[in-house]
Amino acid sequence: MSQAARRIEETVPVPKGQTVLAARAASRSFGPVQVLFDVDFELKAGEVHALIGENGAGKSTLMKILSGYLAPTGGHIELDGRRVDFASSDEAEDAGVILIHQEFNLAEQLSVEQNVFLGREIRKGFFLDHKTMRAETQRLLGELETKVSPTAKISEISVSDKQMVEIAKALSRNTRVLIMDEPTAVLTNREAEILFRQIERLKANGTAILYTSHKLDEIARLADHITVLRDGHRVANVDAGTMSEDQMAQAMVGRELSNIFPVKHEVGSAETVLSVRNLTVGSIVRDASFELKRGEVLGFAGLVGSGRTELMEGLIGVRDAEGTVEVGGKPFRLGSVKDARRAGIVYLTEDRKGRGLILTQGMRPNLTLLALDRFGKTMIDGKAEEAALDKAIKDFDVRAPTRSVLVGNLSGGNQQKLLLAKTMLAEPDIVIIDEPTRGIDIGTKQQIYQFIHALAGQGKSVIVISSEMAEIIGLANRVYVMRSGRITGEVQGADVNEDVIVRYAMGLEGRKFDSHE
Amino acid sequence: MNLKHFAGALALSTMMMMPLGASAQDAETAVIGVSIPAATHGWAGGMNFHAQATIDALEERYENLDFVLSTASDPGQQVSDIEDMLATRDIDALVVLPFESEPLTGPVARVKEEGKWVTVVDRGLAQENIEDLYVAGDNPGFGRVAGEFFVERMPEGGNIVVLRGIPTTIDNERVEAFEAAIEGSGIEILGMEHGNWNRDDSFEVMQDFLSRYPEIDAVWASDDDMAVGALEAIAQSGREADMWVLGGAGMKEMIQRVMEGDEQVPANVTYPPAMIGTAIELTALNFVGNAPVSGDFIIGSVLITPENAEQYYYPDSPF
Amino acid sequence: MSDHAATPAKTTSSSGFKIDFHIWGPVIALVVLVIAGAMMNPNFLSYGNVTNVLARSAFIGIIAVGMTFVITSGGLDLSVGSMAAFIAGVMILIMNALVPSMGVGIGIVLVGMASALVVGLAAGLVNGLLITQARIEAFIVTLGTMGIFRSLITWLADGGTLSLDYTVRELYRPVYYSGLFGVAWPIIVFAVIAIIGEIVMRHTAFGRHCAAIGSNEQVARYSAVHVDRVRLMTYVLLGILVGIATIMYVPRLGSASSSTGVLWELEAIAAVIIGGTMLKGGFGRVWGTVVGVLILSLIDNLLNLTDLVSPYLNGAIQGVIIILAVVLQRQKKAQR
Repeated sequence: MSQAARRIEETVPVPKGQTVLAARAASRSFGPVQVLFDVDFELKAGEVHALIGENGAGKSTLMKILSGYLAPTGGHIELDGRRVDFASSDEAEDAGVILIHQEFNLAEQLSVEQNVFLGREIRKGFFLDHKTMRAETQRLLGELETKVSPTAKISEISVSDKQMVEIAKALSRNTRVLIMDEPTAVLTNREAEILFRQIERLKANGTAILYTSHKLDEIARLADHITVLRDGHRVANVDAGTMSEDQMAQAMVGRELSNIFPVKHEVGSAETVLSVRNLTVGSIVRDASFELKRGEVLGFAGLVGSGRTELMEGLIGVRDAEGTVEVGGKPFRLGSVKDARRAGIVYLTEDRKGRGLILTQGMRPNLTLLALDRFGKTMIDGKAEEAALDKAIKDFDVRAPTRSVLVGNLSGGNQQKLLLAKTMLAEPDIVIIDEPTRGIDIGTKQQIYQFIHALAGQGKSVIVISSEMAEIIGLANRVYVMRSGRITGEVQGADVNEDVIVRYAMGLEGRKFDSHE
Repeated sequence: MNLKHFAGALALSTMMMMPLGASAQDAETAVIGVSIPAATHGWAGGMNFHAQATIDALEERYENLDFVLSTASDPGQQVSDIEDMLATRDIDALVVLPFESEPLTGPVARVKEEGKWVTVVDRGLAQENIEDLYVAGDNPGFGRVAGEFFVERMPEGGNIVVLRGIPTTIDNERVEAFEAAIEGSGIEILGMEHGNWNRDDSFEVMQDFLSRYPEIDAVWASDDDMAVGALEAIAQSGREADMWVLGGAGMKEMIQRVMEGDEQVPANVTYPPAMIGTAIELTALNFVGNAPVSGDFIIGSVLITPENAEQYYYPDSPF
Repeated sequence: MSDHAATPAKTTSSSGFKIDFHIWGPVIALVVLVIAGAMMNPNFLSYGNVTNVLARSAFIGIIAVGMTFVITSGGLDLSVGSMAAFIAGVMILIMNALVPSMGVGIGIVLVGMASALVVGLAAGLVNGLLITQARIEAFIVTLGTMGIFRSLITWLADGGTLSLDYTVRELYRPVYYSGLFGVAWPIIVFAVIAIIGEIVMRHTAFGRHCAAIGSNEQVARYSAVHVDRVRLMTYVLLGILVGIATIMYVPRLGSASSSTGVLWELEAIAAVIIGGTMLKGGFGRVWGTVVGVLILSLIDNLLNLTDLVSPYLNGAIQGVIIILAVVLQRQKKAQR
């Protein structure tokens, strides 16, 4: 039997309901800025405790304190009722407290199996015991219903598989407390279901679980207990079931949230601003044809991996693509982001940290990078840039601790607002937004919806790609549905509802294509 | 025309050679491997030139001689070269100018164990009695001749600065002999720094010496490449009339200046790169001549003055 | 990720009066060296010595300015030292070959200079195209061309030294040795290039694009930056600057050999890094590079002017100072 398996079995089941890990009056300041104020928080064996709040409410800080990544500047941590001071995350992990990061902690160039056992390799004498490690990894991935091979390289597997590998890594240890930072943000619904089953299993084994998500329906379904943070303060600490999703949202935002989607504009028979015919992008997207009208919000729905992102990336020139495209009735040459920009088309990537923003630079160079030619021909006009940043901060409500902050230190919502500001600086007519609200809190989501709505109102045209059905339905005048690299259907008006879209997305309805293609 | 240098090179050697080319009719073809450091500085460039020139001449004259020449830029590469020669080129003799003594001793000893003829040039191996033939310059002699010239030129004593080469045994032997030669003559060495047998480095070192010492009567540059750099720095400071420079190794431009009676370059000291040619030639004798030549041949360093400069001047050599 | 976004915008960081080593580290190191030098030898600050040190720094300095752009955009060029030797060799051969037909005059020197720029541009173009079009790692490409240029100069010089025709040399000599208002030409050229370089890095789209590519190539691509074109430009720019450095170098000794420019690439890279540019790219500053170059040549100069340490240890002193200069800059990060 492998060491890892033994470790799991050796876990002494703590009686359900007993407090394993707790924060007592935990506070934390970064320099002069206090971000967490005297927060009490308890994790009990066999329970899921959901931690919710807007971006920047202090969730990440609290999770990092609990898992040894940060030391509290006030208050302390208790493990099994005794005070502990984790000097590092390693110490916390040795005590069975494991944090699964939203940004994965995986070595991209190593295999799945090497990652699962990284730092805790099983040895046979002096040498590594590859066989046992492989078998163990296979078993863990099997439990997670993940098909990825233990020998696959991390850099070559999908984002959702990476999430599963992270979870497998946590499962392979003597995990008493599992802290999950928005685990479903990158998972498809099916994968999320598998994760939920695993959470139930871990719960039954007596693991204490801290769970965060912006998807309140998940919280309502999974949590035994809910803590709400707002601006670093604990504003609610209740048993699940006593709080509806609406109440959760209200507690997070601190005000009543009416319908978060604005009322759609009428488009009517406006002119066509973009016409795409038979666009093929590599081997991923085939013969996609669609049209976009002035003042329209056009939705692109479909499963993750159905080719929506690739289609748009082909259109704006970061992927090789072939097809006939007309912008405002004039032929458009594919292949250059700069040409696309000149034609008034901009694209906001779904991967804001990897492709949208330079995390190691400040806000100013990020803001003006796309439209740098607007700030002087040979020399960059620094004053104009500063003015643009002022305007962006005001118009898009970007909340940064300091003006010189590195973009990597902004919260997800503020990064997304900055990315929006950056893109709008190019003064586009056609804005393509890929997953506009991924990993963003509900208050910011509403701002972004308002913003998209306002764009359409100004006569610009917006394409929204989203995996959140509510978003597509709430925003779009018209929806194209993609499946396996093809546009399989178009719905508009009253047909824009979950039922119809899902039927297209799953291939139950719509144009059929020969399977061998 | 290569024969001309060749003859000149031989003239430098302390031993006088017997006439060559007696019985070139041996049926067997002999392969001679030649392993030398790459041309990373002037002297080595000259040495490469002489090796190639000698090989060309010998190949033309004797049909039954084949040569394998390889140049290495570090000791490790030289070891590989020698191993390759033994394994794939089936050499009958090896002429080697070791990059460094220690690392090359083992590999060369192995060549000897295989029953091959071994000639070592310039730098001795760390172990004695491996080689059949040893041809070398005289490093202590090089320093001593230079020192004696200083003493002769500066009977009243004076202030000098010294530019040293790359820190090696060769450089140490030269400098020690030089210091011994000027001992008690009243000549004071103000400063010594490494110019690494390199024009640029010696230029900068000399510039700094000139800033640092207001009174310098002479410079022992100990090498002609370094002398070029030092002379340029002196020219820049406008102090040409104050000091003279003694280089070494007989670079053709320097010999020319000696020949012309240049006050700044009154003399030179030989350390002939042509010694490699002598070594190859002597090795070849074993396969084309009747009498094998073995033993140690030390090619002494000679002072070149305007009187005898002409016989050391090879206008075709790159060095 | 970070949770301090809760505070409103525009609060200024109140760090009080603390020296930011990341910015001032190299300058402090330079000042310390100058003070130490002045105390150890009164000639250190003399006009002659200062001119010597600055003029010497010029070759590496001009190259290092170009290297700053290459490294900032995430690249590397190991071939510059060999390239300089090769350009110097070609320049000398061309000028010598033209003496019979053109006669000795300003014309021949101008042709020589032009050929240095053209060869530098071509060499940079070769590096750049192999890196951006053939998609080979910069390290490998320039390691390869480093060997190629070095062999070519050895071959051109037949293993020895190429010397410029004596009469041409006399004409060309003032380019290194004389100057304007008592400032030597190499110093003037270095200063002009450094100032232009600083402006280009800080205030033009090209500089901004270099930093963007070095930080995150994907973001740059998605932001309509012609990544390959900018990369290529950095190598071409560096090639031209190597050409300019060679134009200043050849009149100094009037010769080129296989030992010309040995290790210049590492000195240039060291100067860039000492100056605060990040080796992995994404951030670069030209003024820092200038300080780095000065630090490196001052160390050499100081060691020659004093008898503090055995000359065998010169390399060790340099190594320690390089590492110290970089450690000073990293301190801020470590305090987090």
